[in-house]
Amino acid sequence: MTDSMEKLAAGDRIELTFPARGDLIVLARLVTSAISARAGFDIEELEDLRLAVGELCLLTLQGHDSRYGDLRLELSVLDDAIGVQCTLEHAAPGGETQPDEDESAFLSQQILDALVDEHGRESQDGSVRTWLRKRRGVHDA
Amino acid sequence: MDQEFQIEEKTAGTLPVVAVSGEIDVATAPQLRECLHRVIADGGSTIVLDILGVTFLDSTALGVLVGALKRCRELGGDLHIVAADPRIVKIFEITGLTNVFTITDSLQAAGAS
Repeated sequence: MTDSMEKLAAGDRIELTFPARGDLIVLARLVTSAISARAGFDIEELEDLRLAVGELCLLTLQGHDSRYGDLRLELSVLDDAIGVQCTLEHAAPGGETQPDEDESAFLSQQILDALVDEHGRESQDGSVRTWLRKRRGVHDA
Repeated sequence: MDQEFQIEEKTAGTLPVVAVSGEIDVATAPQLRECLHRVIADGGSTIVLDILGVTFLDSTALGVLVGALKRCRELGGDLHIVAADPRIVKIFEITGLTNVFTITDSLQAAGAS
């Protein structure tokens, strides 16, 4: 992180909303990298978070027809951690199943288990919410 | 996006080599799946996958590799991965896939020279 980079502090919160398309998940990863660096995470943690947030988005989209939905990403800077919440809104269950999808979902869970301190997923009334939390300065993967 | 996604098919000795660079994710993994399936359909039961130029891969990419590995093994072959970037190798490690794939850090070590 360069000296000229504006730092983020506990309590700061950033939101990003984009059409719920897989090819746009790269936007979530890019924003996560930028925010993590400004929140004081080191390069290894930043890479872990970039991967983890991509997986979080994939798990949010899983099993839903997201053609008309939006994916909302909220990153919250905490005292010693970062919290990320991903919400899929206005999407219907179903959609096209990709080959290897079950395998990929299992691998997503494994990646999140290894890289973040806690994560979860809940679905209710056509909306899906996933979240993760990762502490700063903890290298256990 | 660090680098544009690219796939190149070549042959090293008797082995087909698929060399990939850039990011393999949910947007680009279908192209890799299609390429690997085509190489297998053309008779390549053992394939060397060179991902030395890959800067990022996610669970979708790993799912494609596992699917291709199953197809290769059904035909009595294998899928050898060539990867050297510690960030990429780490993803195989945390998912336990270092026990599933043969991973080497050079094409020579994978028998594709």
